[in-house]
Order: sequence, then structure tokens, then C-alpha cells
Amino acid sequence: MSTTNPTRIVITGMGIASPLGCGVQHVWQQLLAGKSGLRRLDDEIVGELQVKVGGIVPSLAEDPVGGLNPDEIVSPKDQRKMDRFILFALIAADEAIKQAQWVPETEEQRERTATIIASGVGGFPAIAEAVRTMDARGARKLSPFTIPSFLVNLAAGHVSINYGFKGPLGAPVTACAAGVQAIGDAARLIRSGEADVAICGGAEATVHAVSLGGFAAARALSTDFSDTPTKASRPFDRDRDGFVMGEGAGILVIESLEHALARGAKPIAEIVGYGTSADAYHLTSGPEDGDGAKRAMEQAIKQAGITPGQIQHLNAHATSTPVGDKGELAAVKRVFGSNNSIAVTSTKSATGHLLGAAGGIETIFTALALRDQIIPPTLNLENPDEDAAGVDIVHGEARPATIDYAISNGFGFGGVNASILLKRWV
Amino acid sequence: MSRRRVVVTGLGMISSLGNTVAETWQGIVNGKSGIATISHFDASAFTTQFSASVRNLVVDDYFPSKEARKMDPFIQYGMVAGIQAIRDSGLEITDANAGRVGVSIGSGIGGIGTIEEGSATLEHKGPRRISPFFVPSAIINMISGNLSIMYGLRGPNIAITTACTTGTHSIGFAARMIQHGDADVMVAGGAEMATTPLGLGGFAAARALSTRNDNPQAASRPWDKDRDGFVLGDGAGVLVLEEYEHAKKRGAKIYAELIGFGMSGDAYHMTSPPEDGSGAAASMRNAILDAAIPLELINYINAHGTSTQAGDKAECRAVKSVMGSAVGQVAVSSTKSMIGHLLGAAGAVEAIFSVLAIRDQVAPPTINLDNPEDGCDINLVPHTAQERKIEAVLSNSFGFGGTNGSLIFRKV
Repeated sequence: MSTTNPTRIVITGMGIASPLGCGVQHVWQQLLAGKSGLRRLDDEIVGELQVKVGGIVPSLAEDPVGGLNPDEIVSPKDQRKMDRFILFALIAADEAIKQAQWVPETEEQRERTATIIASGVGGFPAIAEAVRTMDARGARKLSPFTIPSFLVNLAAGHVSINYGFKGPLGAPVTACAAGVQAIGDAARLIRSGEADVAICGGAEATVHAVSLGGFAAARALSTDFSDTPTKASRPFDRDRDGFVMGEGAGILVIESLEHALARGAKPIAEIVGYGTSADAYHLTSGPEDGDGAKRAMEQAIKQAGITPGQIQHLNAHATSTPVGDKGELAAVKRVFGSNNSIAVTSTKSATGHLLGAAGGIETIFTALALRDQIIPPTLNLENPDEDAAGVDIVHGEARPATIDYAISNGFGFGGVNASILLKRWV
Repeated sequence: MSRRRVVVTGLGMISSLGNTVAETWQGIVNGKSGIATISHFDASAFTTQFSASVRNLVVDDYFPSKEARKMDPFIQYGMVAGIQAIRDSGLEITDANAGRVGVSIGSGIGGIGTIEEGSATLEHKGPRRISPFFVPSAIINMISGNLSIMYGLRGPNIAITTACTTGTHSIGFAARMIQHGDADVMVAGGAEMATTPLGLGGFAAARALSTRNDNPQAASRPWDKDRDGFVLGDGAGVLVLEEYEHAKKRGAKIYAELIGFGMSGDAYHMTSPPEDGSGAAASMRNAILDAAIPLELINYINAHGTSTQAGDKAECRAVKSVMGSAVGQVAVSSTKSMIGHLLGAAGAVEAIFSVLAIRDQVAPPTINLDNPEDGCDINLVPHTAQERKIEAVLSNSFGFGGTNGSLIFRKV
């Protein structure tokens, strides 16, 4: 292995399922237009919970263009054997693989294709349903598919089985940093020569009473905007009161540049840096000075061999919790200087927080910002928090910009941080 | 440029055979079984009523028992094994090195018991009765999180979940991080506590478990003709992995070197391997390629060997095809015959057994192997341990979803 001349890695395919719909181009248009994917959740889900707002992947009836159309990918019979997060992973992976046009033909090509798909929580809903079955009807009435329906690594497992990818198979579960770590792990597998291509990203589907109740009990979720759900996710705004849970998946096909060019694939953006770190501070909140976040970004920048000043755009983790946003802003100021010119946005204002899938869809948004030279807006930023002073947060509407490098952050419970740095492909 | 070498400098473990590495290892080399009828909940209505569960664990030696209330048992097990491993390594965490020390401890299932309780609370008592610690006590990356907080470990913090390959992948990825220079030390392994009503009921529904309720200690019998499924085990295994020069410089005791890591996907079926064991073979070959050693140096294989019909058969074929003419001099055993299948912790406790096999030059036995299955004509170390020369050991793990991983350790 040579460290002096590392393998260059590019993104050649992307797929999304999100509260803004399915399909990368459709979701991106919605995002640039300032649409919100958040809604008041049905009583069937929230019952007597105080939390009323969330982001659900729309049905075909709700969104004829980007609505969920799973039967095309997975037969209705097989859908019953998998939790919803696996379904989202399969839908997003299919889009990404089709765009990349990656159809391995030889055994070697199959063995050189890795599948690394994260989830923060995995099949919580399937577990909760199984508990109800057991309570009501006894353990012997459990479906034989119970365990494989909720295991976190089965998103990667199903994708690998569907397409015959026989390379390394994995699933990071580092809470809300998991999606970014999946892409970072996948990039490292390619760099260390264990794979030429990787399907990577994250999937999550936990807008369910048990997990909503759990995150609400940890006082992490917004509860003040039940009647104005599209206002609930408001990163960096003074009135923010917690995150809004969303569901979906963001999956990328990445490969070595050499491999992409040799087969005539079209790179969308280049992955030039990745960093990950621990806060070693508190289970559910980061330090106010954003120290761990700072170190993750710095490592990514160091790996890319560039300076912070060369980066024009940050897709922030920014979940709309008071403590989290504050730490990230402090980290941004420490990495990019108090006189920085980096344009920051939080797309969670539109999609909600997709937990383990957040890193997947936000890396895609970051790549699209580089491709189209435009930054999507942060919604609901009406009264910026005083900590946001000195940081350029894109809000109101999408902003065209010259972007050569852009970085995306993902931070999670347990004090885990990850950053991924992309370069424009020209 | 030659790559950075990774060595093992600390070990920690709890299992059904004891709450330390030493107690467990003593049981293993003596062919003892840790399997017993389940007593921590009423399992009488289940088709399987036994497990290899942890007994008499006192967490106070490791952290305040008040803290334990915020952790699912799998997190407690992982913490205890992690603390043991760090203590064993003698590593001191300072401001200077904290950023270079990371954690990679995973779990295959995670806080299933906590989720079961949370679901029941919501159903019967309403959402306001859910504990604020519900989510952080259930999610899988909280061993890595808690351990990093306790010791101030600021390096890479990861948690991988690949079903029954979790422990092996967690160690392999951690080693890669040291090789690539992201960290100098990684605390790596896996933990599991899935012998809950839903864990037991779920695996039983998948017809994966032995139902030998009249004789639990004979239930886990890898490669035996009468095997009828695996036995759920609980516990944790954690290793301190360290860059070789870093370990040497501080005068650390070095157990062994981790010289190879390989992975593969079966791309075949959700819960069973291909009959020819091709995915398992690919994983072993990748590890051997990574280690770049001749096959003759591998004198012991700690097999995945779960005691299921399809899995054991496929692994035997894979071992024979990979080892070729060198298969005659390798001992292959399954320690799962004694401590059951620890799912996401299996790869970690078995990595530790591999390291100790090198230290003590002994191959642990496969117990209950009374009638070896036809066609598996290799040294499966039946009943009793074998003292033998062991230069290098290969350890296998394979999981639901068709995910495979192999590690190779070598004497230093």
C-alpha cells in the first residue's frame, strides 16, 4: 500500500428516498425550491405522544412524481419479510446502481464490489411489532423472518443478494454519524485495494411510536410546532426546540477513478477527504466548543491536502437542537476562522433528521451542490441565534455559488463525529 | 512503503464460562460447557429453553452500578470486557495520546431487551413513562460511546453491525485504522445479550436454534451428525490493538500480531450460505492474501462452526478448498460447542481464543463431536484440547445477510 499516491475515488451513482420524495433529481428540485417534507403525523403513529411532527416518504397518491413505488423493486410478498428501512435501502440503491450503470459481469467484478449500508436504529418498528405479536399470541406465532426483518446489516445484505455483489459487506451503526461513516469506510476499502466499487450510504425508517417516544423522552425532539409542522425543523434559529424525525435512504455508488474512467462511467464528484473522531464527553450532547466536530473536519481537510479556505460550502449536521447547533457553529468558526466565507446550510430544515440515513442523503446533496454550483436554503431561519453571528447561513432561497470543495458533517449520540469532503468534478 | 504492524496488547472477556479471560479460557481448554436452562426469564413456553448466559456479573468492580441502569446488558458486558482489556494493556490515556486512541465495539442485535421493555411500556403505560435513557441504553454504538467517555478516548469511534460477523469486522476495521494511520491504538470487539424473549423466540421461529431441552450441554455439537441448530450465547470480548512500534516503545506485553483480515459477501440467501462454502472460502483467501504467509504456517482455525446443518457443512468444504494440501496439518475447532453462539460478540471472543491458542500452543476442543459428519475428514479436535505447535491462527465469522470475515493472528 502506498500512502504517497492514494487512489482517487469518485461518485458515479446516487439514489434517494426521503420525505421530499424518491428520486435524486426530484428531491433536489424540491429542496432548491424551498419545499418542506415535514407534516403532522397521523394519530395512528403518534397517539398520545407529545411529538406530532415528522417526515414520511410520500405515497404515490400524495406525490405522483416522487411517491414511494416499492412494488417495482420488491414484490409485495417479500416486502412483508423486511422492515421499512431495508425497503428504502433497496429503492435508493436501485436508483444509484442504475445511474452508475454498474452491472458486474465477471465473478471477479462481483467480488470487487463492496456493500456498506448504515442505519442508526435499524428495525425498531419490526421489533415493536414482534413484541406485540408475542404478547398477544405467544412466541411460537412469530414469523420465521422476524430476526432478518430487523437486523441492521440486512439492508446491505439484501442489496448484495439482489445484485450479486460479493465483496466486503458491512453496516456501521454509529447513530446519526452512521451514514457518513459508511461512505468513509467504503472509500477506505477502495483505497486499501479490497474493492473497486462500493455501494454505500444509510437507511432509516423509525417514525414509529416506540422510537418517537424514546427520543422524546430524551428531550431531543421538537414539540412546539405541532400545528405548523413545516416550521418545526429550524436549525440555527432562536426558536428551535429539537429535531424532527424523518425517514428514507441515501445510497451512493463510489469507485476508484481509474475504474470509473476505464468503463466509461461519468463521475459526479470526487471524494477527497474523510475524518472521524469522538467527543469523549457526554452520551447525548456534544461539548459547547465543538471540539470533536472540529477534529473530524480537520482530519478530512488534512486527508484532502487542502486548506480550510479552499472550501466554499458546508452541509451542516445542524439538527435544530439548541446544544448541537451551538457546538457545530463553534467548530465551524474554529476550523474556518472567525472571518470565514464558507456558505453553510442545513437541509434537515426540509427533510427532518434521517438519523443513520442523514449522512447518505446529505452527501448526495453536497455532491449536487458541487455539480450544479448552487446551495439549497436552510428553511425557517427567521431569527438567527446569536451563536450564528459571523457564519454565512444560506436561507430564504437557494443561492448560486462557485464551489470547488464542499464538506458534509454527521454527528451522533455517543459523541461520534464524521466529516466527508467532496471536490467538484469538471 | 511497508504498512504499520498491528499487535494485540490487551484482552477482556465475559462469557457463560466466567467473567474474566482467564476463567473462560480455563473452561475452554478443559472442554467445559457453559450452557444451561434459562433462568433469567420464564422460557417454558418456548421451543428452546436453554442458553449460554452470563452469570453472577458484578459491575461495581468496573463502574458504579447506578450507571448500569442506563445500559442494556449488552452495553454492560461490552464495557466490562473493554475495561478489562484496557487495564490488561497497561495503556495510560493522556492528553497527548487521547486523540490517537479509538474504539470499535459492535453488537449484532443490540439492546433488544430494552426495546422490548420500551415497547411494552408504551403499550401498557403510555409514552410519558418511557425513560429518557431508553434510546441511549438501546442503540448499538453506546459501548463505543460510553467507553470513550469513561477513558477520554478521542480517536475514531465506530460501531459495526454485521450480524454474527460483527466482532470480526469490528476488529478488522480497527486494525485497518491503525494501519492507515488514523489511530495508534484501537479498543475493538463485540458484545451481545440477545437471550431475551424476542431474541429466543425470533431465532426459534427461524428454526435456527437447537431444541435439545433435555440435555442442553450436549446441544451445541458442531459437525456432529446429530446437530440440530445453534445455542444462543451472551457475553463480550474486547481486544486492545496497537501499532507495533507504539507498543514496543512503552514496553507493552504483546500477545500476538494481527497479520491478516479478509471479507466477502455470499450474495446468495438471507439466512443460509451457499452449499459449496464459496463465500466463506473467499473471505479466508482474502485474509491469507492480506497476511501474505504460506498456508503451512496456519496450524489452527477457530471455525465459525455454529452447529447448524448447512453452515457447518459449507465451512468444512471452504476450509478444505482453501487449505488444499496443507489441510492435513491444521487443527479446526469450534469453541461454540462450549459457550454457544455469541452472535455479534462471537468473532471477538473467538479472536481472543485464537490469540491465547498461540500463547499457550494449544488448540481448544470441539466438544460433543461424537459422530463426525461424513466427508468432513479434517482434524476437528474432538472432545479434548490438543497441544501443538501453533505459528498462526485463522478465525472465521459468517452472518445472516451473507456477510463473512476472517482474521489471522501470528506469534510475535
